Parts: sequence; structure tokens; C-alpha cells
Amino acid sequence: MAILINRQSQIVIQGITGREASMVTKHTLAYGTQIVAGVTPGKGGQEVHGIPVYDTLKAACAHHQLDTSVIYVPPAFAADAVAEAVANGIKIILIPTENVPQKDAVRCLAQARRAGVQVIGPNSVGIINPTDRVKLGAIGGDNVERCFVPGPVGVISRSGGMTAEVSWMVKRAGYGVSTSVSIGGDALIGSTIKDLLPLFEADPQTRAVVIFSEPGTSQEEEAADLIKQGRFTKPLVAYIAGRFTEAMPEGTVFGHAAAIISGNYGRPSLKAAYLKEAGAYVLENFADLIPTLQQVLDPQHVVAGLAR
Amino acid sequence: MGRLLEHHAKQLLKGEGIAVPLCQVAASEAEAFEIAQKMGKPVVVKALVPVGKRGKAGAIRFGQNPEEAAMITRELLGASVRNFPVEKVLIEEKLDIQQELYLSITYDKNKKAPVIIASMKGGVDVEELSRSYPEEILVREVDPLAELPDYVTKEIWAELGAKGKLLVAAAGVLAKLYRAFQRYDAYLIEINPLAITSDGKVVAAAAVMSIDDSAMYRQPGLMDMVQLGSERAWRPLTELEKRMVEVNEADPYRGTARYTEMPEGDIGFMCGGGGGSLLCFDTLTALGGQPANYSEVGGNPTEEKVFGLTKGILAKAGVKSLFVCHNITNNTQVDVLARGIIRALQELQVDPASFPVVVREAGVNDAAAREIFTAAGVEYYGDEVTMTEACTRMMARMQKIA
Repeated sequence: MAILINRQSQIVIQGITGREASMVTKHTLAYGTQIVAGVTPGKGGQEVHGIPVYDTLKAACAHHQLDTSVIYVPPAFAADAVAEAVANGIKIILIPTENVPQKDAVRCLAQARRAGVQVIGPNSVGIINPTDRVKLGAIGGDNVERCFVPGPVGVISRSGGMTAEVSWMVKRAGYGVSTSVSIGGDALIGSTIKDLLPLFEADPQTRAVVIFSEPGTSQEEEAADLIKQGRFTKPLVAYIAGRFTEAMPEGTVFGHAAAIISGNYGRPSLKAAYLKEAGAYVLENFADLIPTLQQVLDPQHVVAGLAR
Repeated sequence: MGRLLEHHAKQLLKGEGIAVPLCQVAASEAEAFEIAQKMGKPVVVKALVPVGKRGKAGAIRFGQNPEEAAMITRELLGASVRNFPVEKVLIEEKLDIQQELYLSITYDKNKKAPVIIASMKGGVDVEELSRSYPEEILVREVDPLAELPDYVTKEIWAELGAKGKLLVAAAGVLAKLYRAFQRYDAYLIEINPLAITSDGKVVAAAAVMSIDDSAMYRQPGLMDMVQLGSERAWRPLTELEKRMVEVNEADPYRGTARYTEMPEGDIGFMCGGGGGSLLCFDTLTALGGQPANYSEVGGNPTEEKVFGLTKGILAKAGVKSLFVCHNITNNTQVDVLARGIIRALQELQVDPASFPVVVREAGVNDAAAREIFTAAGVEYYGDEVTMTEACTRMMARMQKIA
């Protein structure tokens, strides 16, 4: 099953002729994911690795049934590309672009929200569903199986790079992932942790979810509330990086833009306490992810000393 | 986010039609005296530093006459406010204030929209205000896809209890402030206090403004005003940090290399990406280690950038080792990292036999990276160990040289 993307996804890449987009297209096709069309204004009629390119998304939609888009355009044009996708009936949008101005981000996220479109990102490395071999974005690079194999664990990461590392740890524990989602390191993103947990709740393949978090925002607090309300009932395993930042003077930013600590708001220790209180498994040490997953998914084996 | 100094913020607000006090920058006692004399009235002397809560830090003071203004200026210049040395002060006319309001605009990350925060009780800091009088603060979300209608600016102040001319004047300021917020790609504008003077004017007596770094490409007029990333620091950049900014900016489109100096520490720290470096720092700290710096490198940087950053990390006094660890990379070529690091070690004649260098780099081209690191005598790991295990190896090496 997985969430967000599957074999039925009809994928278009906006900005497909760019250097990075073209490389990602190649890797994605090699993985077995079907890409239906690409869009780059002024390059209609060309092909990128055999994928037809159109001048506008409207033109692409006239020839194909499209519902999923990856936006590979520079920050200055990202919001307009999202607006184009929303206007043309796309239902799932991935924005890998970093450094989208805040003013543009709030505008295009509002447009998507009103149209009922699910946005992942900005600043997301991608989404992957290894069971169906469908991926959006650079996630997995050209060696996807190293980190991403099919299995019962959902992964949500605020760090792009750690989406791969967490999924690799899941594999090392003896499992695989239903879907791994890099939600983006920015403060303003389309889908937060609490937006994705209900999707994993409804997905029969997913038996547990791992989240990788950082300081700043109130995403973890909201996720904890969701658990308390009974809207997410599967085991949730959380690691919150950046505890050392709490000892630093206020206003220091380490890592991503979202990692801003202001007063008590966004502190990793408070996020951890909140999640724990709601019943989540909060990891003190990242390495504990492996035994914790084994205990959560195969308690009888762990007790018998037969953990995979 | 890049913060503006107060005189720049006020210049922009004035351009938008918002009244601000007469003000002028002084870099010396003599200049302060002259400006105060010309104003011919009591003045406020404010340290021009990019930090908040200056009042509490004693960096905003009143001078009754030019002599006092000069004396305060002498005391402020050369002093430091929250670690920032005061190089200039702002001399402002002292307003005859009858009432103080509060007004700010910023982004609410949960609502994903701009929000206006207003109160009839200005002059105290807003955290304190929200603690003591939460009912006195009005927070209004603005539709990001629409303009701010004038009637809403009036509704906001009316709900707070403003009446008559004050209501109309304060609403006018809010409309202009929202235009400035949009026009300049601001991330935050705060006016506190928004002063009502005895002659009935509404004046932005103090202003804080910061600009969205990501939008600077379309704000060329602000280029000389904004210190990029200035809100990230709790003190001015050190010499080493400035050099590392140069290393990073030399090739701004190929990867990032950030460097923050820690007050102490002995482990040279070069990790990534954003989340991975936080994880490594936490893990080393939990194991009793003390990184000498925080560095985040990623996004497939050039060999030159890695070379420059490695040299910088090792340049800090007291560094006894180097720890290099990333999450398994999606696109960063780890053989390029290897070449940059080894070139720096060789140039600095660092011998990995006596100066521990522990590396965990897996991902794109890691077979080549393994060869390069191993040939140079570095303790190298790929994806046969976890990031946590690599931290443990680093600490074991530290114990041997202790």
C-alpha cells in the first residue's frame, strides 16, 4: 500500500530539462518508476531520457492524465510552478527547491491548501515507496536499495539526509519501509508530521512510524496531541536531534532554518517529554532505534532472544 | 534572516509614510554633541547593535542636553551589548509620549500565514506582555493570497479599544506597515512602542526589522543594510568564522560549509548534513566528548571548499583530532570530500597516526573514498558502522591520546 505515491501515480516533472532534474529523472527511471511527462517552457517537443517535454503543464495535461508533480525549478520560480500545478489539477506536489522566499511559500501553500492538494516540502529530498519501486525526487540517488527496502515501517524526517540514514537503520534492524518521506527542513512546509501520521494510520502495510526531528517548530507537540486524541494508534518511535543547542545562547541556528529556538518554544527536551507523555518511544540514543524497532515489531522474538 | 540596524529600519518605514523620530547616527562623542545641539531638545541615545532587548541591557539612555548626550555616547562606544561591540549610536529626539502601543507583523509557521500582533499596552517586551496580559494582545492572521483590507486595520484597533483620531491614525500605520512587510520581504517588523505624542501624532519610536535571506536576490536596495545570517549568531563572527564564510562564499552554488566556533573543545568537527551534524554533536557530547566547533558540510561541495573548511577546523587552538561523519549521502560525492580532507592534512603535515582522524562516509563513490582515506592512514568506515558507532570510535581514539 504505502502512502502518497504508488504504481498508479501519474508523474510529471516541472523543470525536467535542468541539470539536477535530468539526473534525478535518469535515476528514477532506472529504479523502475514511471515518469509520464516533463515541462520546461521553451523546450516543448524535446525529450529527456525518453520522456516527452511540454512548454506548459496545461499542454502536458492535454496529452496525459497527470496527478503527481515534482517541482525542479529555482527558488524565484518555485511558487509559480506550484500555482501552475494546482491550477492544472495535480493532487500531490513535491518541492525539492531550497531557499524559497517565505512570502512565496505562504502564498503557494495557501493555494494548494484551498484546492485540497498535498504539498511535500519545500526543501524535501523526496518520497519513496520501495514496495512499488516508486520514488519522487533525489531520494536514494543511484543506489536506492542500499537504504530503502520494502517493509512495515513508515519514516518521516525533517532532515533530507537523515531520511536515508533512518531508513538504512530500519533495514539494519531487519525490516524495511512502507514509505519514507523527507518533509523538508524549512519552517514553512506543506505537510508536517501531524499531516502524515493519519495517512500511515490508514495504511495497512505500516505497522510503526519513525520520526527524525530537530529543534524548532511545534510539529512534535502537534504529533503528540494527535496520539492523545486517539487519531494515531500505531507505535511511534522518535529521535530528536540537537539537544546540545539548548545549552547555547538564544537565537543560534544550527542545521536547518527551522532549527530556531526561541524561549521554550521548539526545545528538543520539551518535545521529547511531550511525545513520551503521549506514549511515543523517544530515543535517548539514535543507535537505540534498532532494538526499539525490534521490540515494537517482534516482541516475542526479542523476549526469546531471537531478534532478527 | 538578516536583521537591520534601527536607523535603516526607520529609514524604510519613513519611506512608507510612517512617522519616525528625528534621528542621526553618531560615531563619536563630538558628533553626538553636535547632533543633540542641532536638535535643541532632550535626546535618546541608542547603541546601534543587531540585538533585541537593548533597553534592559542599558543600551538605550536619555540625555537632557548635548553634554549628557556626549557623555552617554562615550560610555556606550567601546562597550559591548550582548557580545556585540558598539561602534555607533543613534541620537534621536526624545518624544513627549502620552501613550504607548505595540504593533508587529511576522509569519506564523503553524498557520502558514502572516500575522499581525497588536496591543494598546506597548513599551514592555512582548513576551512579558503575553505572560502578564494575554487578553490585551490581539493576533490576526492575514490571508496570504489577498491584500490587507483597510477595514481590517480598523477592526483590529477598534477591538483593542482604540477610539476617535487614535483609531484612524493607528489603522493608517498598520496599513503602511503591512505594505512595508510585503515590499521588503520582511520576516519580522516590530514597532514597540508605537508612540502617541502629546500633540496627537502616532510615531514609530522604536523599530526592529529583519529580512528573509532567501529573498535578498530581489531586494538589491537592502544589500548594504542587511548582514546575512546575522540572526544566527549570539555574538559577532570570529576571525576564523569570517574566513570560513569566505571559503563558503567563494563558490556559493556548490555545497554548503558552515563553521561555528565553540568556546572550548578539542575535537575538530566536520559532519553533515543538517540533521546528521546535530545527531553527531549530541552523540559525541553524550559520550563525554567536546567538539571545538560545529560544522555542517553538505550539498555536494567542491574539493576546494572541503579543503578550506578542513584547514579552518584544524586552525583552532587546542584541536587534537578530526571527526568526519555524514549520513549516507544521496548526492554528495564522498570521494571529493576525501580528496579535500587529505590534501588539507598533508599541507598541514598532520599525521593521522598521532593525530586521530576518524571518518564515516558512505554514499556516492564511497569505494574511491575508502581507498583515498585508507592510503593516507585515516581510520575510515563506510556503511559497515552506524553514525553512533563512529562517534564511539572517535571517543576511543580520544581516550588513547588523553
